[in-house]
Amino acid sequence: MNYINCGNFKTSYEKDAAIYQTTFSKICIYSFLIGLFVLPFFLNSYLLYIMNMIFISVIAAVGLNILTGFTGLISLGHGAFIGVGAFAAGYLISKFSFGFFIIIPLAAIITSMVGVIFGTPSLRLKDLYLSIATLAAQFILEFIFIRAERITGGVNGMPVDAPVFFGYTIDNDFRFYFFSLIYTIIMVTAAKNIIRTKIGRAFVSIRDNYIAAETMGVDLFRYKLLSFAISSFYAGVAGALWAYYVRFITPEHFTINVSIQYLSMIIIGGLGSILGSIFGTIFMVVLPELLRHIIGIFSHYLPVLEQIFPAIREAFYGLVIILFLLFEPEGLARRWNLIKAYWKLWPFSY
Amino acid sequence: MRKIFLVIMMLLGLNLFAAETIKVGALVDLSGGTADVGKPYADGIKDCVKWFNENGGINGRQIELLIVDYGYKIPNALAAYKEFKMKKVVAIHGWGTGDTEALTKFVAEDKMPYVSASYSEHLADGKKKPYNFFVGASYSDQTEAALKFVKDKGGKNVAFIYNNTGFGRSPFFPDGENAAKKLGLNLVDKQVVDLKALDATAQMLNLKKSGAQYAIIQETYMATSTILKDAKKNGLNTRFIGLNWTFDKPLIKIAGAASEGFYGVSPFAFWDEDNNEGIRFLKQLNKKYNPSIQEREVNYVQGFASMYVLLSAIKNVKGKITGEAIKYSLESMKNFNTMGLTPPVTFTKDVHKGVRAAKIYEIKNGKIVPVTGVITLD
Repeated sequence: MNYINCGNFKTSYEKDAAIYQTTFSKICIYSFLIGLFVLPFFLNSYLLYIMNMIFISVIAAVGLNILTGFTGLISLGHGAFIGVGAFAAGYLISKFSFGFFIIIPLAAIITSMVGVIFGTPSLRLKDLYLSIATLAAQFILEFIFIRAERITGGVNGMPVDAPVFFGYTIDNDFRFYFFSLIYTIIMVTAAKNIIRTKIGRAFVSIRDNYIAAETMGVDLFRYKLLSFAISSFYAGVAGALWAYYVRFITPEHFTINVSIQYLSMIIIGGLGSILGSIFGTIFMVVLPELLRHIIGIFSHYLPVLEQIFPAIREAFYGLVIILFLLFEPEGLARRWNLIKAYWKLWPFSY
Repeated sequence: MRKIFLVIMMLLGLNLFAAETIKVGALVDLSGGTADVGKPYADGIKDCVKWFNENGGINGRQIELLIVDYGYKIPNALAAYKEFKMKKVVAIHGWGTGDTEALTKFVAEDKMPYVSASYSEHLADGKKKPYNFFVGASYSDQTEAALKFVKDKGGKNVAFIYNNTGFGRSPFFPDGENAAKKLGLNLVDKQVVDLKALDATAQMLNLKKSGAQYAIIQETYMATSTILKDAKKNGLNTRFIGLNWTFDKPLIKIAGAASEGFYGVSPFAFWDEDNNEGIRFLKQLNKKYNPSIQEREVNYVQGFASMYVLLSAIKNVKGKITGEAIKYSLESMKNFNTMGLTPPVTFTKDVHKGVRAAKIYEIKNGKIVPVTGVITLD
């Protein structure tokens, strides 16, 4: 669904695929970015932490959306791929004295190679069958994290040194905010552009009808693997950032729950939408924290709540997701477009 | 988006109390994988703070306890930690192995004393983990006590049963393996049973084949009862010894007759030990605070004792209460008396495990009976 202003018509495909549809949207996006760079000066360390978690998760969610939303390949192994990125980064940091600008891409490349290996079954498998194959990837990788003690440190985990940027150690939330923000901007812009190229169109055609895509000359195997590679690359960057942020990696973090959480992020946000991945991530990161604070306030007046809350929290969380799927099946991205359209015509609709 | 943040900020603002209180953070699990033991533990923490506050607080200042249920998830633990830091807590009482490890670096940098309910041996190294403490006997020490007990009983072949987490593997690899070797016992089998497992038949059949006479279990109540039930069903002759988190009344309740003859290693006092000063005290306290609850799990005792040690250390600080001062105060505790809830607690600059003694108990006719005296561990 597209809502476009009256009189704003396009005369070429380039214009239709442009990132900035109008000058106004360009101004909005740039001022939003500037706002993001100014914001940390007004936030305390807890809110900075939430922002950092959002940034890291956005990168991983965008990666999963490229695979699941755009190419139509369901992956239940994204959490483990993030883990590969984190452990690869941790291992490289402990062995070599490279800066983060080499470590992060290297870790991401390693992750994307692992992703390609586990993506190979996608040639023969589709839909639910593929999701089970990627589920296997999740468990195999988790097992490797625990048992490959020489590389990953096993269940005892692995400490990681903070990144250093020209003499500045990025060891607090404030500094890390800029670090992760810049990576997020780079990765999101890259994703947006991948989608606009031939590769992106091939992905979408595979998702919509793979037989038609093949007859049109799209090399299925190549593009499916490429999708896995790109998606895992994103997971790798997110994992490496997570390693740098927490500075301690344990296999207990990269479980199937994480994979499912990322899937719900992109479903809530909107499959096949970069903006949707961002909305979905914000929603999933902020909701549990918000719930906790609301209950915290109410339990001052009603102490019973404090007793019941732990039991109902997960259920409530699930309920919110179900309601979302019922009333907003196309995700937050569509709601955003509807809101935009409403204000475009306000106060005089046609 | 910013509106949401404004709302959050306002909510946070409402939570802030008068500055006169001393703030202590507590990370508890009421809804996650270890909630079965986490809930009573959290009650113990709360009651301890309440009792301190009713008896003059810390040198006249009230303690404000900030409790966060983190659902046994590491990112939640991180979020809670950042929030604690923002609210300027002076110390934190934490919970599991994974999250405590994940926070180790931060607590060392922020000089935040951190008492955990994870008794993993390598949290005890005061040089590498200067701000981590725990009030308990380390899992490795407990395993060694169990192995010595096996040897005294004339056992030869032992097995380990654990789950593939930091918590599960901590007592056995490598400490438990080395201890078995040193004592001349044969380690004949290692079986993995998940923390939430409801079936362990395959593992029990393997164990039967291996001919292990004794098996040491590192799990919580749930998995332990599964193991005991399936062992009984498959006719195993193996005797089981559980470490502290496996062993108390809830296990007898879930496992029923299968728990008969189960041994447990525990440094803590159980609720039935009426000749224990601390238990008598806790029973009175419980009657006053929670008249509806007649009986408490050992985890309640653990939570109380652990918080008691931390708050006493804060109380002993002379001058300004800072992280460094509390660390120093903890490290100068020598044979600190927890009213008998645990053996005397001692921390040194290098060793941050508080307790070096435990007893071995057995479940006989649905009752917990000590079978050894206090075993000193080193």
